[in-house]
Amino acid sequence: MNMITEFLTYPFIQRAFLASLMVGVLCPFVGNFVVLRRMSFFSDAISHSAFAGIAVGALLGIDLSLSSLIVAILVSILIAFLSEKTSLSHDTVIGIAFSGAIASGMLVIGKLKGYRVDIFSYLFGDILAITYTDLLFLFIISLLSIVILLFFSKPLLQITFNRDLARVEGINVRLFEYLLFFIIAVVVTVSLKIIGIILVTSLLIVPAAAAKNLASSMKHLFSLSCVFGLVSGIIGLIASVYLNTASGPTIVLVSIGIFFLTMLKRQRLT
Amino acid sequence: MNALSVENLCVKADNRHLIENITFSVEEGRIIAIIGPNGAGKTTLIKAILGLIPYSPGSVLLFGHSMKHANSRSGVGYVPQKLEFDRTFPLTVSELLAFTVPPIYSFPFIRRKGEKKHISELLEIVGVQELEDRSIGSLSGGELQRVMIAKAIVNDPKILFLDEPASGVDIEGQERFYDLVKRLNKEKGLTVILISHDLNVVYRFADSVLCMNRRLICTGRPAEALTDEVIKTVYGEMMGAYIHSCHEHD
Ligand SMILES: Nc1ncnc2c1ncn2[C@@H]1O[C@H](COP(=O)(O)OP(=O)(O)OP(=O)(O)O)[C@@H](O)[C@H]1O
Ligand SMILES: [Mg+2]
Repeated sequence: MNMITEFLTYPFIQRAFLASLMVGVLCPFVGNFVVLRRMSFFSDAISHSAFAGIAVGALLGIDLSLSSLIVAILVSILIAFLSEKTSLSHDTVIGIAFSGAIASGMLVIGKLKGYRVDIFSYLFGDILAITYTDLLFLFIISLLSIVILLFFSKPLLQITFNRDLARVEGINVRLFEYLLFFIIAVVVTVSLKIIGIILVTSLLIVPAAAAKNLASSMKHLFSLSCVFGLVSGIIGLIASVYLNTASGPTIVLVSIGIFFLTMLKRQRLT
Repeated sequence: MNALSVENLCVKADNRHLIENITFSVEEGRIIAIIGPNGAGKTTLIKAILGLIPYSPGSVLLFGHSMKHANSRSGVGYVPQKLEFDRTFPLTVSELLAFTVPPIYSFPFIRRKGEKKHISELLEIVGVQELEDRSIGSLSGGELQRVMIAKAIVNDPKILFLDEPASGVDIEGQERFYDLVKRLNKEKGLTVILISHDLNVVYRFADSVLCMNRRLICTGRPAEALTDEVIKTVYGEMMGAYIHSCHEHD
């Protein structure tokens, strides 16, 4: 315990703590929609598009967070647009966008001169390298996303439950779906720096899936998923400091541990 | 005024007509029953009217407005034939009904006290107030159907589309439901479009009947439109005898 209190006096650890608290709530909150709508593949495609954005940003010499955000949003809109306007299945469209993003990202990175550490910190995430600006940005995005999702929770959940009923009730289904895709794209991208491209989808879906194992109401689902996310964030970060492991994977493994515990409980219930 | 007018409505899938040239209108405050054999296109017709599937050519006016304007949709209640949803969806009955209770755009933690009361009242009307906190996935078919009926009338609709609403509902529930529909129709002038295979229900509740099998076969008052001839062409020889017994009840 002493070691933890000692560690907590370091500013970079404090920032890491705040960051893991915020993504611990934000990712599962948004992740509930991803799980209920079975969109984990979409969220994966978005994080990998962000990778292409990072590569392009590095090539053009612009801010990597900004370039990744722009590309991620563009790709999410493209996916939504193509699945709506063509007869291709949603799955196929995402698969193509996914491979296109990775391939172009790798191509661009190959053209860059020298080894870029900052790019690889996005791949695996680096919670200990978070700056105050990153924290502020993360805080604003978290607050805005959660407020918007809560304010529009009725129509968003209604279209998730059944699109036809939502449409008959006068809800603009397409508009809300675009809004949701947009928010997922933003949340995935801002979480990249902390958790990494490869694992960001896990933090979105694992705590939400664990909560879904136990919940029988929306209220339960949303509160439990955030609790699980928070617990994974805190325990994962502490464990990673103790064990000297990478924080992103440690946090995700803790959440998977929680998931298996909820599975046991679920098995006993049924 | 006509609550609903449908003109030359055609719905195609893979170059095959699912429904063809359907034209009819419903006056405000009337109950119209749509009948026809399985696969006749009844569900397709209602979905096209509600704008859930595309049609061409054809035109649909609800209270004089095209359904393409989203705001003309408010005031519409719909009970689908079969609700497609994920049984593991963690959602309680009252949460489902709350989606429809205005204000639609609001923070869930600022729940108006009225909302809860409104929901209990609705559930009491359809006779399932004890289901309020049950999860949707755990309901029986008939219980779910009653909840869907409650959901369709949350906002005092002006027109109600019911696609075999009482299928799977027990006799008590059916009586309760059709009494409710009749009461709303009498007291509030609710217009009802009802798909049913139960000709007894059609005779008792409908002001008029529309008989279809891909195309329109006939429309009119039930007792007049449903001649032996029509019943035989729609349902086959077997039904002739059944229909006589219905007439005698009248
Ligand atoms: N999306 C679709 N693509 C192709 N064919 C379809 C589609 N939806 C329905 N059909 C076909 O349209 C026809 C009419 O179906 P519909 O569900 O409207 O019949 P119905 O009159 O409601 O029958 P039931 O009494 O069984 O409910 C059926 O032959 C069905 O196979
Ligand atoms: Mg049908």
